Amino acid sequence: MELELAAKLAIYEHFATSGHRPSVADIAARVGADVPEVREILVRLRAQRVLVLEADGESIRMAPPFSGVPTQHRVIAAGVSYYANCAWDAFGIPAALHRPATVHSRCEQSFEPLDLPVSDQGPRASDWLFHCVVPAAQWWDDIVFT
Amino acid sequence: MLFFRSEERVREWCSAMGYPLRPLVRMDQLWELAREWYSTRLQPESRRPQPAEMRRIFARLGLAGDFWDPQSDAFGGGAGKTEGSR
Repeated sequence: MELELAAKLAIYEHFATSGHRPSVADIAARVGADVPEVREILVRLRAQRVLVLEADGESIRMAPPFSGVPTQHRVIAAGVSYYANCAWDAFGIPAALHRPATVHSRCEQSFEPLDLPVSDQGPRASDWLFHCVVPAAQWWDDIVFT
Repeated sequence: MLFFRSEERVREWCSAMGYPLRPLVRMDQLWELAREWYSTRLQPESRRPQPAEMRRIFARLGLAGDFWDPQSDAFGGGAGKTEGSR
């Protein structure tokens, strides 16, 4: 369990410092484990809904609020560029980092750009809206779609 | 989970995509949701809100009804069993 927690923290620290997902080898080196052991940990973290993995079973697609792949939701904080999984997670990145940030996204209908500064007190006053099609009880049925 | 410029744009998008219109969330409400879910995410003791806590958070923000209930079976498909905590 201790190694699992260390791996989870290593994943999040890698995202937070670089804006990118770590590889299995990155995580293994960080926690002093071997690669097969880390692969098993990733599967367990997926089962706990801490991560979402790609089809290869080891590349990190999501470590919410961070996205391991480019998305339309980009967040810049302290000069580091991050991708968020969704609009909720775009606000989640400055909340997790405890740093001011700017959220860059778009209106899904008009494609009008959104460039919204977010401080530790929250976003600048804005009349934009958030909309989610999927009810809360079904979010994890297909979390990538959600 | 998407941003929209206005309610009119949400309605247009739902109509074009064939999706139902769901409850709309303001930016200040979304920030509170993000804080509740993620403010401890980089810390060892971090944990995702569980269903009872989710209900409390949603209620505090005025987000009420079956749509926000993580164990609701109002939308079919056995969805109530997934306990959709993010």
